[in-house]
Amino acid sequence: MVVLREGMCPGLDEDLVRDLRAAGIKTVEDVVSSDIEELAQRCAVSYKALFAIRRVLLAQHAAFPVSGADLYEELLSSTAILSTGNPSLDALLDSGLYTGEITELSGGPGSGKSQVCFGVSVHISHRLKQSVIFIDTTGGLAAGRLLQMLRAETSNAEEQMEALQRIHVYRAFDVFSLLDCLHGLRAGRLRQALGGGSVKAVIVDSVSAVISPLLGGKQNEGMSLMMQVAGVLKTLAKDFNVASLVTNHVTRSGGGELQPGLGASWAPVPRTRILLERAEGAADVGHSSVRSATLIKSSRRPCLIKEEFDLRWWSRSGGEEASSGKREREETDSP
Amino acid sequence: MAEVITSHGDNDVSLQLFARLEARRCLKDIEPQLFPEHGGPNHGEVVELYGTEGTGKTELLYHLLCRCVLPVASGGLEVDVVFVDTNYSLDMLRLVSILDSRLNADESDEAALHLCLSRLLVVHCSSSSQLVLTLHFLETSLSSRPGLALLAIDSISAFYWLDRCEGGASVTKQEEKLSKCIELLGRLLRDYRITVFATCHAIRRSYNGSSCSDYDRPYLCRPWQRLVTHRLLCSRQEAANNMQVFTVHCTSSGSMTKGYSSSSFYVTDRGVKFI
Repeated sequence: MVVLREGMCPGLDEDLVRDLRAAGIKTVEDVVSSDIEELAQRCAVSYKALFAIRRVLLAQHAAFPVSGADLYEELLSSTAILSTGNPSLDALLDSGLYTGEITELSGGPGSGKSQVCFGVSVHISHRLKQSVIFIDTTGGLAAGRLLQMLRAETSNAEEQMEALQRIHVYRAFDVFSLLDCLHGLRAGRLRQALGGGSVKAVIVDSVSAVISPLLGGKQNEGMSLMMQVAGVLKTLAKDFNVASLVTNHVTRSGGGELQPGLGASWAPVPRTRILLERAEGAADVGHSSVRSATLIKSSRRPCLIKEEFDLRWWSRSGGEEASSGKREREETDSP
Repeated sequence: MAEVITSHGDNDVSLQLFARLEARRCLKDIEPQLFPEHGGPNHGEVVELYGTEGTGKTELLYHLLCRCVLPVASGGLEVDVVFVDTNYSLDMLRLVSILDSRLNADESDEAALHLCLSRLLVVHCSSSSQLVLTLHFLETSLSSRPGLALLAIDSISAFYWLDRCEGGASVTKQEEKLSKCIELLGRLLRDYRITVFATCHAIRRSYNGSSCSDYDRPYLCRPWQRLVTHRLLCSRQEAANNMQVFTVHCTSSGSMTKGYSSSSFYVTDRGVKFI
């Protein structure tokens, strides 16, 4: 809804705006949808002038059609695939997180969603040397944990500090702060905060923590806020060419199986969805760090394929691709 | 059809008249497997693809898009398509991989692909107000491109919750914006004789007696329900030997054709494959 103001386009002066308002035309949509001839007569303005104004306003505010060929060229040159650092997860995601898309990771408590997010941020900031924006809505991010993961990657303190500096953390504990943060990023804080560094990933852990308390009952506002968050995340991903990773909780469906939370309206929002669970039949169920990831929505790989991986992958020692995969250090407590 | 053209020194008016009179490609034969016998979408008809997430609507839409833009030699209809993307959900890479697999091997890949893609016009809208303005703007594209026969919208339900919240307590106010879009869509359909395909995400369960959680109750405003002539209800069946099978139930209530039809398909790398 764009309100008519003088100076919006040549020919739209104060008197005309006042006359139009008197005739009940207050917004750009009203101008565009009304009968120009009739309106010209009512406001004592020439048909030609009003027609020209309508044309300019329409060109300014309507979305411009783009040829599919141009869109494809642009996509080819700007899309990047970010490896998550874990080969099993990469295999599931068809090489990694794609920029311009939202990828969702859902799982119950203790399933390792946050750990995966930390691991991905550390990998992107240290190995790929790109900046990461991490929006924490649960208070679960601790710099010490990131440092621990980085220590396993490199023992050079300077490199560790550099990598940590590339991870920008924002805290938002309710949906309005989250929207504020995302809108701010979109408006330019992204460029400002980084002073030249290039952001390649925006991670929100977790998006359901701030939205699910608002859902349910007869309130529409919760759903509307959820769709607003979805809209801004998508625009951010597309316009700035970043890969967006969000986490979600799980609920049980009618048939008893696990399904991601936030309902049927959120479901079409992420392009790729992964469900994380504790691996069945793991040797030591209580303390095992092995997780199984199921691909439940993807446009590139057949659905319902599973991969198992160890959460300790991102903090394995040596920093090089350890072929044995065995940890030599003391096992720290699981997430 | 006599029309009085008042001369306002504007070329567009006469162009518009031409565009309206000239017949656009009828899409009745776009996919005979989906519709009842001889019952494909005629000029000015609207097809709605309805279903929850993961029921194959988007794949079906891409399948139909490819059918439209491919050259006749590769099994297409060679018509122009406008794709209205309401939530950045167009997966261009997937669309191109389907097109690639369907183009004949003997044609030079780059040029043929480019030609197909240039028949596709993509427009992105972020609110229902912008959708209304964009549909007005598209009128000029419709006038100047007589080859344009299909308007695809993915999805028409994207702004449902945003509009509902903005409308407050009054249902009329909630549905006002979308109703305006639909009114305009109806006018474009009548004047330009195009066909519209739109996806609509199912979000409401309907509880009917014993079986609950059936996602097929229409929830968008009445004008939309009246505009739709063919309703394709998409659902997913239990995977047998790891293959997801999707079913489509078509209910046609057009002026010429009324009837039901059912079909099933699964999704491969090359797109939709009917069973």
